[in-house]
Amino acid sequence: MNIVQLFLDYASALVLPAILVGFPLYGMIRKVRVYEVFVDGAKEGFHVAVMIIPYLIAILFAIGMFRASGAMDFLTDLLRPVVGLIGIPAEVIPMGIVRPLTGSGSVGIVLDMISQFGEDSIFVKMAATMFGSTETTFYVIAVYFGAVNIRKTRHAVPAGLIADIFAMIAAVYVVLFLFG
Amino acid sequence: MLNYIWGGLIVLSLVFALTSDITDFVQDTYRNGTPLPVTIIFEEEYHADTRRQYVEVQLSGTDLAAHYGDSTMTGNTWPGVLLQTSAGRELRFAEEASLTEPLQTICQETGQEDCRGALQGIPAGTEWQTAITFRPVRWVKMNAIAGAALDFARTAVTLALGLIGGLGLWMGLLKIAEASGMLQALVRFTQPLIRPLFPKVPKDHPALGLIVLNLSANMLGMGNAATPLGIKAMQELQTLNETEDTATDPMVMLLTMNTASVQILPPVTLVAIMGLQINQLFFSILITTGLSLIVGITAVKLLGRLKRYREVTS
Repeated sequence: MNIVQLFLDYASALVLPAILVGFPLYGMIRKVRVYEVFVDGAKEGFHVAVMIIPYLIAILFAIGMFRASGAMDFLTDLLRPVVGLIGIPAEVIPMGIVRPLTGSGSVGIVLDMISQFGEDSIFVKMAATMFGSTETTFYVIAVYFGAVNIRKTRHAVPAGLIADIFAMIAAVYVVLFLFG
Repeated sequence: MLNYIWGGLIVLSLVFALTSDITDFVQDTYRNGTPLPVTIIFEEEYHADTRRQYVEVQLSGTDLAAHYGDSTMTGNTWPGVLLQTSAGRELRFAEEASLTEPLQTICQETGQEDCRGALQGIPAGTEWQTAITFRPVRWVKMNAIAGAALDFARTAVTLALGLIGGLGLWMGLLKIAEASGMLQALVRFTQPLIRPLFPKVPKDHPALGLIVLNLSANMLGMGNAATPLGIKAMQELQTLNETEDTATDPMVMLLTMNTASVQILPPVTLVAIMGLQINQLFFSILITTGLSLIVGITAVKLLGRLKRYREVTS
């Protein structure tokens, strides 16, 4: 395990510099006017960032309101008996609800849980596994689809949520299997 | 579906905020207008003609419990200031004072600059038994959701503008990769692996290479690089789109692979929080993310066949 990890650590540290130098270098070898082409491409960065602003505002303000209204606590209480049936501890429910909605919110939850249960607790392991194995679904949708002005998302939301819900459940069982 | 979720989030927040505020109103959670017994201890002794005096504010547990109807509350002493004006005497809690609930909420809601309440009676000696009346507290949650909506709208802009640098850098590099033929080489090399998932993308299309780069960046936990690469891949896919605003099958697949996240290395944020503990979670994250990716891909393939989600063709 450690060798795999060491390799991956090195890989992730070296990949970025290799690309930063490698792309222009290879371009120069192939006689590309690298500076001109780079600037041409980089121009788009600003345009794309501005394009996604309306999508991000729409998604984030709704999520912000939802969090501030205290609905999250209510949902946690509502889900407690349901998820208890399939063996998911109530302690990790907030993580499951917040994770697809906000990244900073889920970081806060992991931190809260560490201070409440301690780093070694099985609940923290479950929550951290949930955090590590999924993404902020709604943010990703806003950014990726917003950048190309896609408003009709078809089955992207249900598919993403199915994968998220599955990951939340799987995280509990995988952690129980490995550490329980 | 996003329309329903989005609308649902907004309507639900209003419903919950309203319920919570009405409950507060009915139960009189904040005891609006009712004086709370308090003991004020002067540092030396009371001066009748000093405008500001630093004092200690003592609230007893039994008084608090009786006042707010919560038997678990305990008393404490907090630093404060006694203000004397022509209008009367006011007590102001020091800004750094961390009060117990519901006092904390009362302070947040009423104090424009800090937390204060009107005092009854006339002080004497070094200890003064009196009672404090806070300004009435209403619509706590309604104010909170309105504030949050504005806050998060601003956050959205900050987030988007924060992406400009990374986006610009990657878009520039990718343009070089395209011009030098690197991207095309990557496409030829990796398309046997990736094309089965994106059958509608034509052979040798640059989108395939960008998808590979986006997924690789995700796997290595490089979120900062993954986003620009994914956006660029989406732009390439959009050139194949016959409609203007409807996602195509390959777009939905790419998006789901990103939201399900394909990580071999844990994300940087999690490493920062968990420290060395993360080593233990290496396998649990790998297994979970792998399984959820398979489920996500299957869901995309199956849901795509449903009538309501079928691709629009012009």
